[in-house]
Amino acid sequence: MSDLKRTQLYDLHVLSGASMVDFGGWEMPIQYPAGIVAEHLYTRHACSLFDVSHMGRLLIKGAERVPFLQHVLTSNVMALDLNQAQYCIIPDENGCAVDDAYLYRFEEDQFLLVVNAANTEKDLVHLTKIVSRYDCTITDITKDYASIAVQGPKSREILAVLSGGEAVTEPMKNALNTLQMEGRTVRVAKTGYTGEPLGYEVFVASEDAQWLWNRLIELGARPAGLGARDTLRLEAGLPLYGHEMGVDPDGVPMPIFAVSLARFAVSFSEQKGNYIGREPLERQYAAFKKIMSRDFSDMSVLPRRIQPITLVDRGVMRGGMPVYRGDEMIGWVTSGTMVPYYRHEGEGLATKILDDTAKRAIGLAYLSSDVLEDDVVEVDIRGKRLKAVIPPYHMRVDAPPFARPILYKPAEQEADADTGSRAAKALDLIQMASENHQWRQTCCINLIPSENSASRAVQLLCASDPAFRYAEHKKIKSFYDQDVFYYQGTRFIDRVEQMLVEQMKQYLGCCEVETRVISGQMSNMAVFSSLMDWKNRLDRKHTPKRLGYVLNNHIIKGGHLSAQPMGALHDYIAVDPVTERSAVVNFPVCKDNIYKIDVEETKKVLEKYRPELIIFGKSMVLHREPVAAIRQFVNEQHIPTTIMYDMAHVLGLVGDHFQKPFEEGADIVTGSTHKTFFGPQRGVIGVNYKKSDLEYGLWETIETRAFPGSVSNHHLGTQLGLLMAAYEMNTFKDEYQRAVVENAKHFAKCLKAQGLDVAGDPANDYTETHQVIVSVGYGTGPEVADRLEQNNIIVNYQATPDEEGFTASGALRMGVSEMTRFGFGKEDFGKLAELMADCILRAKDVSGDVEKLRAGHTTMRYCFNDEKMQEALEGFLGQLGL
Amino acid sequence: MNYPADLKYSKSHEWVKMDGDVAVIGISDFAQDSLGDVVFINLPQEGDTVSAGEAFGDVESVKAVSDLVCPVSGTVREVNEELLDAPEKLNSDPYGAWIIKVEGITGQEELLDAAEYEAVCAVAED
Repeated sequence: MSDLKRTQLYDLHVLSGASMVDFGGWEMPIQYPAGIVAEHLYTRHACSLFDVSHMGRLLIKGAERVPFLQHVLTSNVMALDLNQAQYCIIPDENGCAVDDAYLYRFEEDQFLLVVNAANTEKDLVHLTKIVSRYDCTITDITKDYASIAVQGPKSREILAVLSGGEAVTEPMKNALNTLQMEGRTVRVAKTGYTGEPLGYEVFVASEDAQWLWNRLIELGARPAGLGARDTLRLEAGLPLYGHEMGVDPDGVPMPIFAVSLARFAVSFSEQKGNYIGREPLERQYAAFKKIMSRDFSDMSVLPRRIQPITLVDRGVMRGGMPVYRGDEMIGWVTSGTMVPYYRHEGEGLATKILDDTAKRAIGLAYLSSDVLEDDVVEVDIRGKRLKAVIPPYHMRVDAPPFARPILYKPAEQEADADTGSRAAKALDLIQMASENHQWRQTCCINLIPSENSASRAVQLLCASDPAFRYAEHKKIKSFYDQDVFYYQGTRFIDRVEQMLVEQMKQYLGCCEVETRVISGQMSNMAVFSSLMDWKNRLDRKHTPKRLGYVLNNHIIKGGHLSAQPMGALHDYIAVDPVTERSAVVNFPVCKDNIYKIDVEETKKVLEKYRPELIIFGKSMVLHREPVAAIRQFVNEQHIPTTIMYDMAHVLGLVGDHFQKPFEEGADIVTGSTHKTFFGPQRGVIGVNYKKSDLEYGLWETIETRAFPGSVSNHHLGTQLGLLMAAYEMNTFKDEYQRAVVENAKHFAKCLKAQGLDVAGDPANDYTETHQVIVSVGYGTGPEVADRLEQNNIIVNYQATPDEEGFTASGALRMGVSEMTRFGFGKEDFGKLAELMADCILRAKDVSGDVEKLRAGHTTMRYCFNDEKMQEALEGFLGQLGL
Repeated sequence: MNYPADLKYSKSHEWVKMDGDVAVIGISDFAQDSLGDVVFINLPQEGDTVSAGEAFGDVESVKAVSDLVCPVSGTVREVNEELLDAPEKLNSDPYGAWIIKVEGITGQEELLDAAEYEAVCAVAED
């Protein structure tokens, strides 16, 4: 055993009683005294440490490092920003894998390539032969650094102790960071081989290896060996070179596209030129696409693929066991064993992970490409044929902070159609709707920041006749841009729309307003569509170019989903051919206040990307957007761009108490008319282009992308209601906006005084908007929000900018506008803060007190409720016959 | 490592205890420690014939399969069905978690006493 290499942590493993084995020429721990099963479970439940210092660490530097790497790796190296990592494969000339690897960009001008320990020598021989053709060097720095994987739901908080509370990395997978931990330089990657949604690989100088290992154990992590590393990666469905990649049990090389991760690891970007294996990989990719469309007519290029496999009969599958479909041998198990998991009970967000554990016989298999999910096959286990099934996956990680085992369940039978009496159901519905209305309007304190209630006048108008009608209209140039209405009976609504446009122009302070859009997202889609149409207006003979680059607030940092590629931007955003990703770049945020845009860093981004569209606006918002500063900068730098402000939540705060977007230099404003604004649920678009501006043509495009682009029916009932709401806003905005901002600040301070962790800057009372954000503990948001709802306080749980996703939410997001409208003042918000603290911190039942507090506030303010109006509304109601 | 004095042991690391005419058989502490976590067991059926020196079933750990070698010849009278759902009992209680009971004994392997077996294990560890 003395010829074997030892890592910097060897002594610690031996001291802990680890069983050591030869792994790729290294003496490594296969398990510690706890055993593989316990080590696997502790990773899924808490945090395990893996010594991965045996893996090859290669540094690539030099002027031609990018062309070299583009030639020897399957991935697009230019898709890697600074502080990002990517999974990649080292291909051979035949499109098969020499090794799989991870590429890290910790520094601007060099790359770190981490390869499998067993293949390090082979990889170096292969790469060294090629690097001589490039102005580039590869240095094996394996000995100089140690590498420790820290994996599991508690990994983040444990590492945060060492970083002194500083966020270890950005929350997305593959993020990198270099930071100090207790005075030592540490490089951290949000990567790993266990499939855990929270997991890191930490690189330290060799002399710091033992310090890091011991500190992590002090903080509650436990060591785990290669045995658990294998069961964890198997459950996660991750390939292991030598099993799922390399050669099959018959010795035949396996095509790279046999592994599903190839879709992400292989790029055919032009920048990669004719890289090693490109041609066979392109043929494999074409074959892969056919197979994914269930065209099995020619599987010669990709005859077999790696699939997950679950044993149905009693037994254990192992690598090498043949798999049959009827009499036909269709492949082999490539990896298999018994894997433990924690049982769960309950459904959806209420799923509870139990302490009780079980085991399942699962694996990965290299099977004929026409094998489908849910197919039943047989595995030959030492001469006996046992039944197995092909599940879609063994595990899912879209509900962080836990990895969730997915137990195979055959598709459920569809329930029989419900055939009860519809008349009875109709009566039921009225009853249920009545109860719900009663509950929300008289018992609940509604703090969802995107919600509000409308005045009686607005609601009655919304329910009156135009609600069932159409009023399509278009400007005709022959008539000097006069609108022509297609239908009869539209004189009233024509006047209404003109009056509404007038009121909104006054409110927003701009030249033109479009009111036919019926939601905030639709407003944004109409604007994006217009910008794209306008961009291509001089060339209608080719497929239109999409928008790019676009600068926005990332959804993780509180940006609205509308401005993300997943939202309204979806079909309008270009893909950058260099990075092969959406041409979107995000506003950087301040290190000491993640809710605030960092203007100086933004200027660097603007200089680098020169985006053609800048979208301000957020849905988790505590601060004004720096519109004026950015407008000044893009003007000074002559960056041709459109500045759009999706005001969404804060449309009702346009004015002296918040911001005046057009005065600050915005070109386009969109918004939701029902959040802080008093209206029913609709959207609106405002622009400040005058008839003499070139961009007035863009405005005319916006009008046509609204109608006929986005609507045919523009919901006349609520448009009528919106006019009343606009009168209300324009009349009462000064008192209302002042009250909202004051109440929000006061509410925030009271919650803080009650012992809650309020987000934002204490120096400006935590908020400049209607929103207040409270952190209640990582991952506990959903449960706390539910408990508050049981007590009739309605808020929403939300992930903060440094949390992974909504199931890991640690915050509550609240808005004061609706309750301000019902007359809540400072005292009332103070009382509410007390009740909330009682519920959140002391789990008290406060539902009775909440109802009492609400009961005193059911009259709406900031609307016309003098005698004349009340009389008029009574008459109107009578007339409506409702 | 435990080597209870009242049991007999085979060189292949099974233990035997005579309960009247019935041989109760399991695996030793040394065996479970070498195996690591036992995750699965294949048991014979009641009524099966077993032969001294031949496999009567197998245990699977996370990493490998190991045959269970029978120290005696005879007929299986009873199998410990608890082990089917909880094979880990072989790790936590190797001398309490018996595997099979054999009656009608017609032969046996050379069996060691506790001290002899402990010596065999000491050599095996080097």
